[in-house]
Amino acid sequence: MFESLVKRLLQGEFICEITDEAGFQYLQNPENFFQVEDYLQRLNYRLASTQNKLSFYAAYIEIDNAARQDIRKVFQQFRLELHPVVEWLDMMMACLKQDAVLSPGDTLAFSSLLQVIENNQALADRLQAFAKFKDFTSNEDSVKGRLEKLLSTLQKWGYLQLANRDTLIYQVTGKLDYFYQSLQFIQEHEEIPVEQGEEEIAQETLF
Amino acid sequence: MSQAQGLERLFKALANHSDLIAQAYYEGVVYKDSKNQRALNQLKQLKVLVNHSIDGYRISGRLGQFVDSALSSDRLRRLDTDLASWVDTLEQQILMYQDAWDENRIEDAENYSAEIERVIFDLSDNLEENTSYLLMLINSRFANVRTLAEKKKQNVFYISRVELLVQAISSLRPEYLLEMVDEHPALYALLEEQLMRLLPIYHQRLQDILDKLKTFLFELRKIEERAQLVQGFAFFLRQNPGYEMQDWSEQDTIPEQWNQIKPLQLTLSADTQHYAVEGELIAIVQKLRVDSEALLNKKRKPKINKIETVEREIQVMELPLYRKWLRRYFLLLEQQAGQGISAVSFQQKYVQDIDPALWLGCVLNEWLRQQQRHSKIKMEFIQFASHAAFTGNKKVKDIVLCWREETNNPT
Repeated sequence: MFESLVKRLLQGEFICEITDEAGFQYLQNPENFFQVEDYLQRLNYRLASTQNKLSFYAAYIEIDNAARQDIRKVFQQFRLELHPVVEWLDMMMACLKQDAVLSPGDTLAFSSLLQVIENNQALADRLQAFAKFKDFTSNEDSVKGRLEKLLSTLQKWGYLQLANRDTLIYQVTGKLDYFYQSLQFIQEHEEIPVEQGEEEIAQETLF
Repeated sequence: MSQAQGLERLFKALANHSDLIAQAYYEGVVYKDSKNQRALNQLKQLKVLVNHSIDGYRISGRLGQFVDSALSSDRLRRLDTDLASWVDTLEQQILMYQDAWDENRIEDAENYSAEIERVIFDLSDNLEENTSYLLMLINSRFANVRTLAEKKKQNVFYISRVELLVQAISSLRPEYLLEMVDEHPALYALLEEQLMRLLPIYHQRLQDILDKLKTFLFELRKIEERAQLVQGFAFFLRQNPGYEMQDWSEQDTIPEQWNQIKPLQLTLSADTQHYAVEGELIAIVQKLRVDSEALLNKKRKPKINKIETVEREIQVMELPLYRKWLRRYFLLLEQQAGQGISAVSFQQKYVQDIDPALWLGCVLNEWLRQQQRHSKIKMEFIQFASHAAFTGNKKVKDIVLCWREETNNPT
């Protein structure tokens, strides 16, 4: 377990209960955790986890110029993902008619999503709007084709994992915990006005 | 960027591009060209201008209304009314436009057309903005309160807004409006593109709002903070499509979540000196050899290309007529060596089908060709008597060739 786990960490993977259940459980044991941590430290790495401890990944102990260069690439990728992933999370709330956002471990059934979107013009319109983002352009001009493209790109980015190939059931991975952490950080530090008051609409509206 | 910096940037853009904004306000549209493209993009990013068509921009609804108010424009009347009454205004404007058109009052018709365009865009902007904003509020805030008193206040607020939206959308009679502008293709297209095509989306949003209202009208609910964060962020990004987050990777202290290692590419090589794995390595190598042999056995013998001889028909090219006569002429010269033979007399005697001038040209050419091989043929020109003095031209009427007789001394 130690060997495969360390290899996956060194290859930049997020280890969570969904992507590697055995590996994740292995790291829950403090003794194992310190063994892996100790090994990584010899390479100037450390074992880091997301804020809710839902996934583990390898991070730098000291950030020198070379490390900064690598981190810049990670950040650029996040920049690319921010807008489409937020839009996807918001859209999923509307599709699933729930007051909670997706969390690691939640499942998404392709057929159910397709049915909801095909019967709702506003959602079909939102799905079509994903084409404006890089990596989401689909050659197929149908709701099914666009939904396939959306889910496959999110799988490629590591936010989803195909849990069942036959029934096309996807599972949300622990990497989403990292995304929420980043989103929270940006909102707080860039003072993004996400709290919309009801009174505001009363003052601004024309009717 | 802080809010103060954002405000400063907005005011600077308004001042720097006031000409474009004024044009959009008065003329209804500004078209993109190589000079203004950058400025238009900036104004669009700041939501001062919005899309009018593929390559045109118009002033945003809210800014347009602010300018109306600031200039005390007659368009101001719309500010105090509700969306449903805008639909009445639209219908009236279309009727007045038709009257002006029928009575050939061109200037009035143009004014009404511009006003109709503005009402359509204002209606479209407001329906889009209000339905999406209300849906976002319903999803992220409605019923998420602690007391029943707060809940009652909320109910009144949301129901009144939904009523107004329903009234506005119900008062839009798509078929009637399109029929009114049936004879005016530009207005028809605008109405269909900006309002009618979007009606199903507004209807759907209202339906979603209604579903939530029905579910939580008498209930309290708990919306998790993260959901509010995502919904608020999504709404912010829709309102600010040009938003770019700060480059946090350039900060002195890099935020924890972005401190991730560069994925390593792991590759391995066999240690052939390691006795413990010797057996396994031998097995691998043997397998490779077997595979190779198997592959060699399977290797096909290369095909040998068969060469076939094909007997081709030989085509005999016939000599041109002039060549035949030239050959006979030069043969005659050789046979009658030492005797000069006139080319013209030969031609007159034997050759009937060739023009004399052309024949002389052919003889001269052939003599020159023979000269390159030997100098056995002597040539003499017979010229016409020259009448025009000092022209420098010689006009030849005959050529006499003579095959030199064989002598002992070849030179």
